[in-house]
Amino acid sequence: MSDDLNIVGKRVVRSDTLAKVTGQARYTADLKFPNMLTAKVLRSPFPHARILGIDLSRALKVPGVKAAISGFDAYGVKWGVFRYTQDHAMLPTDKVRYVGEDVAAVAAVDEETALEALSLIKVDYEPLPAVFDPEEAMQEGAPQIHEAYQNNINIHVHIDVGDVDRAMAEAFLVREDTFKAAGEAYAMMEPYAVVASYANGFLELWMPNAGPHVRAKALSNLLKMPLNRVRVRHIYSGGAFGGRSEVSPGDLVASLLSIKAGRPVKLVLSREENATSTRQIHDMIATVKTGMSRDGTIVAKDYRVIYDGGAYSSTGPIATSIPFYVYEECYRFPNVRYNGYRVLTNKGIRGMYGCHGRAFLAGNESQMDLMAKELGLDPVDVRLKNGLSSGEMTATKSLITSCGLAQTIARASESTHFKEKWPKAKRGKGIGMGCIAIMCGFPMGFRSGSACYVKMNDDGQATIVTGVVDNGQGNESVVIQVASEVLGIPMEDINLINADTEATNLDPGAYSQAATFVGANAVRVACENARRKITAIAAEKLGVPAEDLDLKDRMVFSMTTPDKKMPVRWIVREAFFRGDPIAATGSYFPKIDIEREWVSRPWGQMAGTFSFGTSVAEVRIDSHTGRITVPRFTAAHDCGRPINPMAVEGQMEGSIQQAGIAAIMEGNLWDHGFLLNPDLLEYKVPLACDMPEIDTIIISSMDPEGPFGAKEGGLTIRMNAYSAIACAVTNATDALFTELPLTPDRVLTILERKKGVKK
Amino acid sequence: MILPKFNYKKAEDIAAAIALYEKAKGRARYLAGGTDLIPRVKLRLSTPGTIIDLKGIEQLHTISRQRGSLIIGANVTLFELKNHDVVKNHFPALYESLDATSCETLQMRGTIGGNILQNTRCLLYNKSLEWRTARGFCYKMGGESCNVVPGASECFSNYCSDNALSLLSLSASVNLAGPGGERKIKLEKLFSGNGRDPFTMRPGEILTEIRVPVKASSGAYEKLRVRNAIDYPLLGVAVSIRNGSGRVCVGGIGPAPRVYPLKDLSKTSLKEVAQHARQEAKPVSNAALSPGYRKKMVQTLTQRAVKRALKEEK
Repeated sequence: MSDDLNIVGKRVVRSDTLAKVTGQARYTADLKFPNMLTAKVLRSPFPHARILGIDLSRALKVPGVKAAISGFDAYGVKWGVFRYTQDHAMLPTDKVRYVGEDVAAVAAVDEETALEALSLIKVDYEPLPAVFDPEEAMQEGAPQIHEAYQNNINIHVHIDVGDVDRAMAEAFLVREDTFKAAGEAYAMMEPYAVVASYANGFLELWMPNAGPHVRAKALSNLLKMPLNRVRVRHIYSGGAFGGRSEVSPGDLVASLLSIKAGRPVKLVLSREENATSTRQIHDMIATVKTGMSRDGTIVAKDYRVIYDGGAYSSTGPIATSIPFYVYEECYRFPNVRYNGYRVLTNKGIRGMYGCHGRAFLAGNESQMDLMAKELGLDPVDVRLKNGLSSGEMTATKSLITSCGLAQTIARASESTHFKEKWPKAKRGKGIGMGCIAIMCGFPMGFRSGSACYVKMNDDGQATIVTGVVDNGQGNESVVIQVASEVLGIPMEDINLINADTEATNLDPGAYSQAATFVGANAVRVACENARRKITAIAAEKLGVPAEDLDLKDRMVFSMTTPDKKMPVRWIVREAFFRGDPIAATGSYFPKIDIEREWVSRPWGQMAGTFSFGTSVAEVRIDSHTGRITVPRFTAAHDCGRPINPMAVEGQMEGSIQQAGIAAIMEGNLWDHGFLLNPDLLEYKVPLACDMPEIDTIIISSMDPEGPFGAKEGGLTIRMNAYSAIACAVTNATDALFTELPLTPDRVLTILERKKGVKK
Repeated sequence: MILPKFNYKKAEDIAAAIALYEKAKGRARYLAGGTDLIPRVKLRLSTPGTIIDLKGIEQLHTISRQRGSLIIGANVTLFELKNHDVVKNHFPALYESLDATSCETLQMRGTIGGNILQNTRCLLYNKSLEWRTARGFCYKMGGESCNVVPGASECFSNYCSDNALSLLSLSASVNLAGPGGERKIKLEKLFSGNGRDPFTMRPGEILTEIRVPVKASSGAYEKLRVRNAIDYPLLGVAVSIRNGSGRVCVGGIGPAPRVYPLKDLSKTSLKEVAQHARQEAKPVSNAALSPGYRKKMVQTLTQRAVKRALKEEK
């Protein structure tokens, strides 16, 4: 593809911007239908208790209540992302496993009536001993949360490459440290909401989701309905960050209520419910043992990581693996052993997260810096020495086909004068660097690919139909931009139908960094197929070879004799006359090893490509209070060719907030099974005034497979920004962190321990 | 979360407000800016039968000078007060605490009276009814125990007004009007020290005005918080100094602020006050940062606030 593109690579206004800034974008909670009912959910007050009985009769007698349900009204089907993780009934009938778990629900004419009815539902519980700490949960004799998982070990991912013990014994320098991190909240601006409408044997649903097709399939299983009768519709989404990739209990609740009442039902969760009862992020304990040779080469890594999974499996096998993979996709590990344990506790369910794995990743990176220092080496050189490059294989046998890691390291360090600043760190001032890679898509069986349908309309505008879903990151705008480039018509000429399971084809969804690399690639192929039909007719009409034709500004023209041209519109109309309208399909299936499995076969090609990133944080520490401020943050990202650089920069900036600055403030606080900060006041999402000066650097690496050379945009910064902060604190204090977030109390402890002050 | 049902009444003047309160037989709450009350009502921490809106009372919305005092109507917004010349020029501690309160948008909504009379807070208390019911009612909810410190006989909820601290450092007094008439008390007398019911107000009383002696002071306000805006203080220290002596006020820990006189400005007495304040502070695990840290910071921030105040003094 030539480099002089018209639309791709340009800083265009996103297609969804106008609707959002004017408040015209409709979210699920905005939907209104005739006769629509309001639903409310009764939740478990116990962290662990047997359900002896649920009596809905009094609730049903309240005037205005149209339906009430519990798990006894469901079909006894348990959800799981994998065959071996089907443990989540959504509405339990045996026992509750966390405070806030969905137990029963009502649908009524208004919220007040629904609340009154909820208070009349009687649930008999027999409280059971509960366990909240994953290490305690693994002990013999701990309360057993699910029969299927002995010692509450839900998932064990075991990877062993090379000869770790031997390499460790031969290493010049070996270090072992343990790092903890509190789980986080997704804190998306839109609390979860779902509208379900059942009529004539069809169920229609609207909810923020990161994959409409997997959502519909899960609901068709849970409701024992044929898949064609469950239709998940397009709706704007107020954020997902990995927390909305799976079916949610609210989807089942609203569906059952709508089926019972025969009316549309809307369920909108409160901010507190969104925090306690949708998905949370894993607390982690990561033990990292590293062997290094005298020149800074990593010769061995040995990991034991415990993930506090909460009450159910969720995306467990994936969550237990991802932190390791994004690290092995970045650095060369000739000998590596990874034991990841996801352990169940009586807390809310933990899912995947765009910034998942901070204890593990920040731990690795800051430990590497201390080891480099001990060897008299520079962290930049150590990263460059160990970093993977194009053509290399990861430890678990994924080929890296395009790699700008070295450039991101070089550019980020040059622009911050890292090499001069790092050795001169004083107490109270530090600089740190974090690197990472990330897979663009991962194996999901036949759902790993995407397909698109495009049709040209009478006036030369186009409609594209794709399963790609947008959770706010700009995926819709990306596919429109790609179609606009291929078809030679402006973005505003393109109508998009997407993320609607009835109209659109299968797509991997927006939670494996596949939207651009896979979804937009399918759009590109479909549009190229349509374009060939256009140029075939135009070649005939203009009397030039089709290869000599280009499309731009709604015109087809000869590249050698630009006078020879005609509007795309004319060709579209001609095609209608010929009874062969301009329409095409296209698909893209990434080159992956589909035999690869998270637990049973953790090797083979993970993804079609990988993106890379380097973050550099500069911190100041108040030595009396331990308070960290971040005056400057620099991020360099190899995202292939950026489709819309402005959108990529926006993702990078958001990542610096959500992962970087969050590393000094965000963390869930617990009182046994009770979440202490299920709100936006006590859960400390960084505010505008807490943000640093930001410098974003895009490294355009031109991926050979990606659409116009593009890969995912932004997520690498989400996965390394906390590492940069942790490394900067290590640089300033000459000590490792033990727990994230690095709140001032923890930082002061680091400073005092270093000084030898007793508590 | 929707509000529960209540009657809404708007009062034209103070007497009318008190009459409405009496008519509601005590099941009423006064509303000013609403930034404290409305979230509390939404969480069912307060369930008034009637809400009496004071916003229309002009008398409560004025700032004047009288016999050497600045008289601040209780309904003056934090933002208006922050931008008042006397505050800017004479009361640096108050200016800083106003500026450190939440964010400007909420400063424009919240009133100084409401800010002083905000209820005490606790991580285990400012929660929905469902959350609190599941966890079990504590002293502050009318229960029989403390959920933070098992076995404790008192409530450790934190008083989180930034501005009461600086007003205390400036020796402010307040006017109260109620069914039993008007009275004027020193601001420190407003606090009961009991977290369950933190104020000494009598039923139906309205805080009408705050009086601050107009004498130029040097001062400072130090606030411990995780983020640079929005957050309530995890600890607040206000210092005001006039003519070689002053007052230090420590809040954000426990149900009442503590006031310490600075008799002279010698290094020893300054150090003593900071140490004393630290010894007396009894933080517990009911706020975002660890109690041991908050206790330590009492001394650190007191020293820092005094240092800054003295720097201005010179």
